[in-house]
Amino acid sequence: MVNLRRGFGGVKLPDRKGLSAHAKIEDAGIPAELVLFLSQHTGAPSKPFVKVGDAVKRGQKVADAQGPVSAALHAPTSGIVKAIEPRYQPVLACMVDAVVIEPDGKNETVEGLAPVATNLHAVSRQKIVEIAREAGLVGLGGAAFPTAVKLTPPPGTVIDTYLLNGAECEPYLTADQKLMEEEATTIVFGFRALMKGAGAPKGIVCVEDNKPEAIDAMKKAIGPFKELDVAVLPSKYPRGGEKNLIEVVLGREVPPPPGLPLNVGVIVSNVGTAYAMAQAILTGLPLVERVITVTGEGVARPANFKALIGTPLSYLVEKAGGFSGTPGKVIMGGPMMGTAMRGLDVPVLKGTSGVLVLRKEQSAPEPVLPCLHCGKCVDSCPLRLLPVWIASYAENGYLDEAEKFRAVDCCECGACAYSCPSRRPLVQSIRLAKARIAERRRAAAAKKQK
Amino acid sequence: MGEKLLVTSSPHLKGPKTVRGLMLDVILSLVPASIAAVVIFGPRSLTVILASVVSAVASEAIFEKAVKRDVTVNDLSAVITGLLLALTLPPGVRLYVPVVGSAFAVIVAKQIFGGLGTNFVNPALAGRAFVMAAWPLQLSSKWVAPFTFDAVSGSTPLAVLRSGQTAIPSISDILIGNRLGSLGETCVLALLLGASYLIARGVIDWRLPAGYIGAVFAGAWVFGKSGAYFQGDGLTAVLLGGVILGAFFMATDYVTSPVTGKGRLYMGIGAGIVTILIRLWGTYPEGVTYGILFMNLVTPLIDRFMVPRYYGYVHDVSLRRKARAAGRRA
Amino acid sequence: MNGKRSLLHDFTKGFIEENATFRMVIGMCPTLAVTTTVVNGFWMGIAVIFVLTFSNVLVSALRKVTPDQIRIPVFVILIATPVVIVELVMKAFMPDMYSILGVFVPLIVVNCIIIARSEAFAYRYPVMNSLMDGLGIGLGYTINLIVIGGIREFLGTGRIVLFSLGSFPARLLFDPMAVMLTPPGGFVTLGLLMAILNLVIKRSESKKAAREAAAHD
Repeated sequence: MVNLRRGFGGVKLPDRKGLSAHAKIEDAGIPAELVLFLSQHTGAPSKPFVKVGDAVKRGQKVADAQGPVSAALHAPTSGIVKAIEPRYQPVLACMVDAVVIEPDGKNETVEGLAPVATNLHAVSRQKIVEIAREAGLVGLGGAAFPTAVKLTPPPGTVIDTYLLNGAECEPYLTADQKLMEEEATTIVFGFRALMKGAGAPKGIVCVEDNKPEAIDAMKKAIGPFKELDVAVLPSKYPRGGEKNLIEVVLGREVPPPPGLPLNVGVIVSNVGTAYAMAQAILTGLPLVERVITVTGEGVARPANFKALIGTPLSYLVEKAGGFSGTPGKVIMGGPMMGTAMRGLDVPVLKGTSGVLVLRKEQSAPEPVLPCLHCGKCVDSCPLRLLPVWIASYAENGYLDEAEKFRAVDCCECGACAYSCPSRRPLVQSIRLAKARIAERRRAAAAKKQK
Repeated sequence: MGEKLLVTSSPHLKGPKTVRGLMLDVILSLVPASIAAVVIFGPRSLTVILASVVSAVASEAIFEKAVKRDVTVNDLSAVITGLLLALTLPPGVRLYVPVVGSAFAVIVAKQIFGGLGTNFVNPALAGRAFVMAAWPLQLSSKWVAPFTFDAVSGSTPLAVLRSGQTAIPSISDILIGNRLGSLGETCVLALLLGASYLIARGVIDWRLPAGYIGAVFAGAWVFGKSGAYFQGDGLTAVLLGGVILGAFFMATDYVTSPVTGKGRLYMGIGAGIVTILIRLWGTYPEGVTYGILFMNLVTPLIDRFMVPRYYGYVHDVSLRRKARAAGRRA
Repeated sequence: MNGKRSLLHDFTKGFIEENATFRMVIGMCPTLAVTTTVVNGFWMGIAVIFVLTFSNVLVSALRKVTPDQIRIPVFVILIATPVVIVELVMKAFMPDMYSILGVFVPLIVVNCIIIARSEAFAYRYPVMNSLMDGLGIGLGYTINLIVIGGIREFLGTGRIVLFSLGSFPARLLFDPMAVMLTPPGGFVTLGLLMAILNLVIKRSESKKAAREAAAHD
């Protein structure tokens, strides 16, 4: 049993996971078109080496990693490369080049795809990192950081604990929960592979207490492994955020940006990433599909799909029974940190963990009232920041003061805006300040170079 | 799919607390004290309360119309100002006192500066200070005997204490409210009931009243008895006068109290210190009004210096060393 | 220095456009102190009109020969003359009023209004204009004092005592407010009057701008 510390801040959110918690993971099938963005991970975009008109098979690499921090891209099913053209990337909110594949329905796997090993003793640490790189593995928790890079921290850093993040603290989402319930053993295999890849001696699986079946499944799966443990977190948002998780489970604080968890000897990965790692070793399949929850009061039949990367949202929503009532908002991700979409014609990215459809009545914007200085945002910030001042300064254009109040440290979790009784758009203001500060720093750096 | 989707920034969920909801909670928490006022001092209390509330709401509406702003009486903050002001007045006070006081509180202390969220001191207390200066006789002599509803011009227990005598009501009388005093400050039990509702609902931070009451208690205990130290009656000092009303309902006004927990604690302590100073060595028998008003003015200063230790900025050297060692262990 | 100014405009601007108390916000100390009654305010205003006009004329007449570097001490000397005259006249013919106004009569020497008008106007413009300026600003100031004094006295004591014509008592809805006779009451009155005047001016200016814009179309 792991001793938990009391984390700071956070809010208790309505769970709303009951909508899809009982839906077993089902295959989403093959849509009419797959859009694979060359930039759907943290780092440099991938470089494609297929051409328009090429025939590709499932698991075939279509783009290579460019530079040290980048990831490879693979075709999720067999078909023809219809186009390589700019498409609207919903998370980056700009046009990004994408490889568009038209599936042929035969779903033929590429030749040479074979299991690498069934036992971790048969793979060395370097081999694991190579597999992660070749399979185009990225963090499936949302930030999509290339896993191979994560497993190779700068020389001199020693990782002593690896945390597996199964907290899934956002309401409505159940993808990680169902994955843990149904594939606990595979996840543990992948987790141990990741640990070996990083060289971490100890691993802790972190789950929130609102997923009892998942907790039981994971506890059973880690049974024989002495170096693994399960930590059950009280379900408060955003305990599943990387920084907060490390503080609550290990009592350590990650240094402010550009600090990373590796500075305190920790690496954090999502359960989905561990599952994908396991698949890459056990079957040789690279990252071409993932579990996504399609849920919300706005879909008729909330479900957890195993969907191909690049599947359009419209296809998934139709598979989930279509709309229920008038849709008001379609959110890619969870309700607290997800991005609202302008339409359903956007594809699933590697980092998409859920699609949330809210009804019109639920999404009506509320009038914004003046700030009351009630301090509820301060009480709820998990990083102990002062959102009230950052947002006020940002709204009035005082970038220096916003920077002084550590606007750059904000993780945009949304707990402050959730607790604000005046419904002030705190996260939006802070994001604005961050963008302007980054712009200013870039301009200053460019001027210095001249 | 022809429907237009709404695209807004995250988060897409909003919490259950709204401004109106918070104000309603405060009004609800003051209901026990208001009922107690009517029971103890008679139906005139209700007239005073109504006059104050109506004047506050009307002043806000008329002023906002005059300067062509949206009328915001719906957020119930004017109602609270009127109610709180009424509870600080003696029961026998002539009706122009709450009417003018509420109008002053809402117009001068709040609306002129920009409305909700911009008052620089507690509006109800600003109104009270104004009527105290305008009609000192009304506020110091229009008492009503409890339960018999007769007009009385004697002194409140606080004034009695001030003049050096010791004939004050018993603790049980003080708790129930069987004594002379303002509408809202006498029935301590009703006030505590409302206060516990506010704390349970998460509307106010308990650290502010704790600091206030603690400071008043400590000050009265240490310096209360003239000529000797540590022999004062702290409990009576806390229960008499407007300390309970002020600590839980007035000092905790969001706009004029600090934003951080520690800051609120210091504000409470500061207000308590000023209250005790005025009570023991100042010219008024009651120091709550100016204690809180003074700390309202100091709040921006507190906010400036109360910056928490952010996540990641580990000042403690040993922790920093341990963190670095964990990343470097070979 | 710049062309011909309208004498009439120099006189009337002291009433609203360059109102000493509510627009230029100068000379506040005696304003707040003497406006506890209308009568006090009135006589103070008369004293200021006399001093202001006299000193403006003197400063303007001597402006060409006053060196720039020592102009302020020169102003003070020139202002002190009419102030002493006022003081002596008041002491001789209105001793009660002199004792009520107390130290504020000799303090007219350093009253910001007088020095400000000397510096900003009399030093630059011809004698007739300065005369009109002094009269206008002084008269405007006197009206200010009467208005403020009227409000404060009325609310503070319930009646207005006007010279020997007798008092105008008022059937008030409420008892007199003691606070009005004290500095806080003065500040609040002043502030509210300033706000109302600013509101009226802003409304009339926006109406004028709207009318001009409509005329252009």
